[in-house]
Order: sequence, then structure tokens, then C-alpha cells
Amino acid sequence: MNQADVTKLVSKLRIKVPDQHRRLRSPKGPEGRLDKLRKTVTGLIKFERIELNHHRADEARQYAERLISEAILHGDCHKPTMEIADYWLLEKELLHKLFKVLVPRFENSNTAFTKMYKAPKASSGRNIDKAILELRGNPYPLLTNKHSNNRYLLQNVLLDAAKYEYRQAKYAEMADKIGKNEEISQPKSDDVAKSKPINEV
Amino acid sequence: MISRVHQLKKILNNVEKNVLQIFGFPPRELAMAYTLEKRLPQPKKFTIKDIVGDGILLAVPKFRRTVEKRLKRKFGSPDYVWKMLIPKTNIIVCNSCGHYHERGYICGHCYKKVEAETKEIQDKIQEKLGNLKPIENDVIVLYNGENLPEQPKEFWQGKRIIEMKKDRPQWFSKNLLQKSTQQPSESKDVKPTDLA
Repeated sequence: MNQADVTKLVSKLRIKVPDQHRRLRSPKGPEGRLDKLRKTVTGLIKFERIELNHHRADEARQYAERLISEAILHGDCHKPTMEIADYWLLEKELLHKLFKVLVPRFENSNTAFTKMYKAPKASSGRNIDKAILELRGNPYPLLTNKHSNNRYLLQNVLLDAAKYEYRQAKYAEMADKIGKNEEISQPKSDDVAKSKPINEV
Repeated sequence: MISRVHQLKKILNNVEKNVLQIFGFPPRELAMAYTLEKRLPQPKKFTIKDIVGDGILLAVPKFRRTVEKRLKRKFGSPDYVWKMLIPKTNIIVCNSCGHYHERGYICGHCYKKVEAETKEIQDKIQEKLGNLKPIENDVIVLYNGENLPEQPKEFWQGKRIIEMKKDRPQWFSKNLLQKSTQQPSESKDVKPTDLA
């Protein structure tokens, strides 16, 4: 069986890929669609976080993922990969960024290279869905709240205080009970103690 | 008796006819009938100006709209655009700021802050690194009064440091109980009151 391992030849994307591509209508036809996507991929690599229409973002994301995974798989000495990168990146200084910044960043990661969020909707009107597309490991502030496990999150501080109070109250109650039990048991012993001396007397 | 009178009348008619023919008159049968009639006025030619005059003419519906169409105009269609107000059940409270937002979407209030900060950092990076030179360095953002995190020297290879000339926004810090960005003021100015 001298067959090549197909999984090592083709880069497998780590995101869900729909079975049909979107058309992204343009007067130029399919060529215009690719032009649009090239612009978006270039912008994504350049700015690392962009906001755009959901359809276009989702479509461009697949191409960006593929581009980065090809770059990781083959490196910058592989001619076809370089040609692909040259086609997809309209600003040529980004070719350096792809191979010198993004490849080392994502080399050892086992998740997708990009992240996509749904942007907040305007409260009124019929608006197109927007999305925020970003590269992982960017220097910008986080988009999602990841503080839920943070000890210092206000909710957690309040919950901790409430728990502490509850526990203190319970302890006090238990202490009272123990005290009462002793009081109840003590008189018996007193009687015994009292009776004893009487007997003795 | 009647027939005699009739006969006589016939004879007289014949005599009259013959006498008139002798004098060259045409026979009475050929005389033209003439009826006295009032002449009707000729109807005027109809023009649209007679109706409109100085005003303007608007297009008006010719036919009545069907019930279905009227209802669809009023309420929309549930499959396409439903115009009625329906309560949303997918609204939740943001964990960090307490504003409401739709489930599955980013909180709008938080995102506004993040967006502005992101834009600022992006501009700064573009200003420092993005002048058509090949981009070969990863970027680390530092705010005022922050030191580089302690890492081995290899970690810093191929990284560029971007300094934001301001304090780190409070919401962007890892420790939420960190000092606020606003310094306690030492000025003893008192704001004037009762001006108006």
C-alpha cells in the first residue's frame, strides 16, 4: 500500500464548511465575488478584527482559514502556496506577515485560526446581519465576557459574601444548640452533684 | 249614401288635379312634407378642461382591493414581513454590564467600548508599523505605567511593542478590583452652586 495519506496533502479546515458557497452577487459575476472575498481576506489579515456583513464574513472566513493552514502546512518555500498567498493578499507586505507572524502564532494550535461573532443588531428597522471576524491571538480587548470565573467579578464577590454570611449564621445556630444541650444536661449533673453532697452529709 | 259622398269627393279631387296640371303645377302627391320644429342646439365638443378647470387631475383606483390584499397590506405576512408586534423571548442580561441583549449576539453596550478601543489600537498600529514596509513582527500593546510581563528572552523575538499613551481602561483589565483610572484629585476648588 504505497498510497499517500490524503489527510496530509489537503488541509482540513477546523470550521464548519457549508456544502454550497454563497453567491455574493456582483455585476462582474463569479469573478467579482472572488474580488470581494480577496479584499475581505486581505483586510482580516491586516487588521486582525473587522466588522462586516454576516454572509461575506462567513464566506471569507473559510478562505482565510484555508490560506493560513496552507501556509502552515507548506511554508514559504513552496511555490504553489506562495502563488495562492500572492493571489489572496492584495497588499504584498502582508505576505511577510502571513509567513513570519501568523504561521508561528498558529503552528501549534489545534483550534480554528479565526473567530466569528454576531454583531449587535440595531433595535429597529430591517437590517442585514453583521458579524465581527477576527484572528485569534490579536492584541485587542476581548469581545466576550470571560470573567464569569473571576473571583473579583461583582456577582461573584456578592455571592461569596452571601455564602460567608449564611455560613456564619449556621455556625451561630449550631453553637446555640450546643450551649442549650449543655444547659439541659448540666442541671442533671447539678442534681447529682447536689444529691451527692446531701448523701455525703 | 256614404259611398256616394266618397265618389263625389273622388271626382272633385280629380277635377282639382286636372285643373292644376293645366296650369303647370306639379301634382299634390309630390309636394314636400314640412313639419314645424324647433332646432336643437348643436352639442359642444367634450374636453377634459371643462371638468378640471383650474384644478389638477389625480389618478384614482378603478377597482376595489380584495380583502386578502387589504389584510396583507395591514398586517404583513408571517412568512415574509410580519408587521405585528411580537414579544421577543431571547433577550438576556449581559454578565458584565447589565444591559439587555439578544441571546447569541454580542452585548451592544460592551461592544461599543471594545469597538472604540480596537479602532484606537488599530490606528496606532497602522501609524507605527503600517507604512508599506513588510510586516514581520507581532504586536504587544502596553498602556501607561505597565511593564512587560516577565517572559524568557526568546518570547520577545520578533515582537513589536505599541504603547498607548493613556491608562488601561478599567473594563479591559484582568483584575476587576484594580484601581480606577481616575486619580483622586487634590485640588481644593469648590464648584459654585446656586448660579441660576
